[in-house]
Amino acid sequence: MTTPLHIPQAILDDMVAHARELDPYECCGLLAGINGTVTQIYRVTNIVALEGAEKLSSFDPAKAAHLERLSPAERAEIAFVMDMQDFSAAKKDIRNKGLDLQVVYHSHPHDPARPSITDIKIATDYEEIWPKINLPIPDYLLISLMDKSKPDIRLYKIKDGNVTPAHIRTTI
Amino acid sequence: MINVRIPTPLRPLTKGQGEVTAQAKSIAEMIETLNASHPGIKSRLCDETGELRRFVNIYVNEEDIRFLKGKETSLKDGDEVSIVPAIAGGSSCRT
Repeated sequence: MTTPLHIPQAILDDMVAHARELDPYECCGLLAGINGTVTQIYRVTNIVALEGAEKLSSFDPAKAAHLERLSPAERAEIAFVMDMQDFSAAKKDIRNKGLDLQVVYHSHPHDPARPSITDIKIATDYEEIWPKINLPIPDYLLISLMDKSKPDIRLYKIKDGNVTPAHIRTTI
Repeated sequence: MINVRIPTPLRPLTKGQGEVTAQAKSIAEMIETLNASHPGIKSRLCDETGELRRFVNIYVNEEDIRFLKGKETSLKDGDEVSIVPAIAGGSSCRT
């Protein structure tokens, strides 16, 4: 078993607060840290509602076509596209602080905390991109708000299209 | 010559090629050159005002052009440019 990722309770709480603030829309963001401990959260704007966003993300044609049929608000309930300006700013801060990118997170307001087919496809596509932008391959964290009073938080590794649950250790 | 990495969503415009070459002295020139040989690529990368769209990043040798000189970032022979689509995902399709 791999070593659990240590996420302090305050950062977990911040992430859940982000998911709740955007509910019923999906939130997304990054976690960074060092030596297996998360020290920083970066909220990233979900810009899936921007015109054309679905065409330059790695959505498969069926998902992109489905998104195009929806209103901007409906799109944001079932998908996220990270604002790459936010992403760039986070990446720069991560580098300046001497941290590593550890996690890409997003919420599923209406669905379980497990990667969808879209999540798996895009994570797999991105495997070859991370090294080109000088970042390690992150884990993926899902927050489900199906039970609003008890968000379900789960961490996964996605490699070559395969999903493996990973473990989180929390401390106050 | 500049090597340009093309992400999956743009490969239909490059006949499936994951990497193409371009002769250009800046990112702006590279985009114009790519658009001449692969029509449609510019509008996917830039908005109506010519600004880079928020769901794409361009890296020159692993450095984000947003932190260099944007589209005026200069290029030299042998540079590696990566066009990087936004990280995305979402729950299962609902109809």
